[in-house]
Amino acid sequence: MRKNENIIFVIILLLIVALIVIAVFFYRPDSAPQSIKNLSSVEVREYKGEDLSSIAAFRENSIKGPQYVNISNYKLEIYGLVNNPINYSYEEVLRKQNYEKVITLHCVEGWDVTILWKGVLVRDLLDDAKPNINANTVILYAVDGYSTQYPLQYFYDNNIIIAYEMNNVTIPPERGYPFMLVAEDKWGYKWIKWINKIELSSDTNYKGYWESRGYSKEGNLNESFFG
Amino acid sequence: MKVSLDKSKVIVRWILFALAIVYIITGFGITQYQVVEKITLGLLTKALAQKIHFYLLIPFLILLIMHIYLSVMIRKNNAI
Repeated sequence: MRKNENIIFVIILLLIVALIVIAVFFYRPDSAPQSIKNLSSVEVREYKGEDLSSIAAFRENSIKGPQYVNISNYKLEIYGLVNNPINYSYEEVLRKQNYEKVITLHCVEGWDVTILWKGVLVRDLLDDAKPNINANTVILYAVDGYSTQYPLQYFYDNNIIIAYEMNNVTIPPERGYPFMLVAEDKWGYKWIKWINKIELSSDTNYKGYWESRGYSKEGNLNESFFG
Repeated sequence: MKVSLDKSKVIVRWILFALAIVYIITGFGITQYQVVEKITLGLLTKALAQKIHFYLLIPFLILLIMHIYLSVMIRKNNAI
């Protein structure tokens, strides 16, 4: 009788532990924002045999909520330690050689999304501005005041794009229209949205919004995101 | 024996309760960081909330298992 009780106790205990483990590993917050409207083009959900996440599967966690950029007076400014400062219009960026790739964004909150991104290489934009020999840091700014920084070499060692389409549709305002950085191998907070300025600097100590609030400056996926 | 079990259960129960509250607050501190930062006058930032939340998981599970174990043991002792 006592033996049976012990077995039942162990089984219940194992069930509870299993439930907790399952809940921790499979918890995905329901994140579809209510404000997303129907899209004019069709979103693809599979690319070359790979399943893609919905563009509504992101969780809205920006610092000041979605930004609605007026594209008619939008400029992407590249300035700082450059020999040829540039102000690109939205169309000018789109006219450059574009690239597509499937990359997964991993948020520090625990959720992730796999998206087909289309955009232009940051390296191509920087080359047009002709970085000064002293420039070693790239600081990206967004219209809401958010910022993040990278070593200049990151964009030359990797094919990093700023995206204007996700899953074959124009990036919606809630996701970062007009441009979002696809910072592969970096935690989600390094994927800056609503980019409007790119500064080249020699200040290697600069810390972006979350980096100055306790998150890792590098934000590498294979390392802890705690700074 | 019974007295020490009862006492242990009470201690574990209250620690578990406190931990559960902290766990919930830090959880909100991650997802609703704007609100939580304001309420805590900037003391509980998103990064801090995430750190606490992350490191509390294992102690929370251990205490939960202890809590269940002690409850069963006390019930069994009472039945004898």
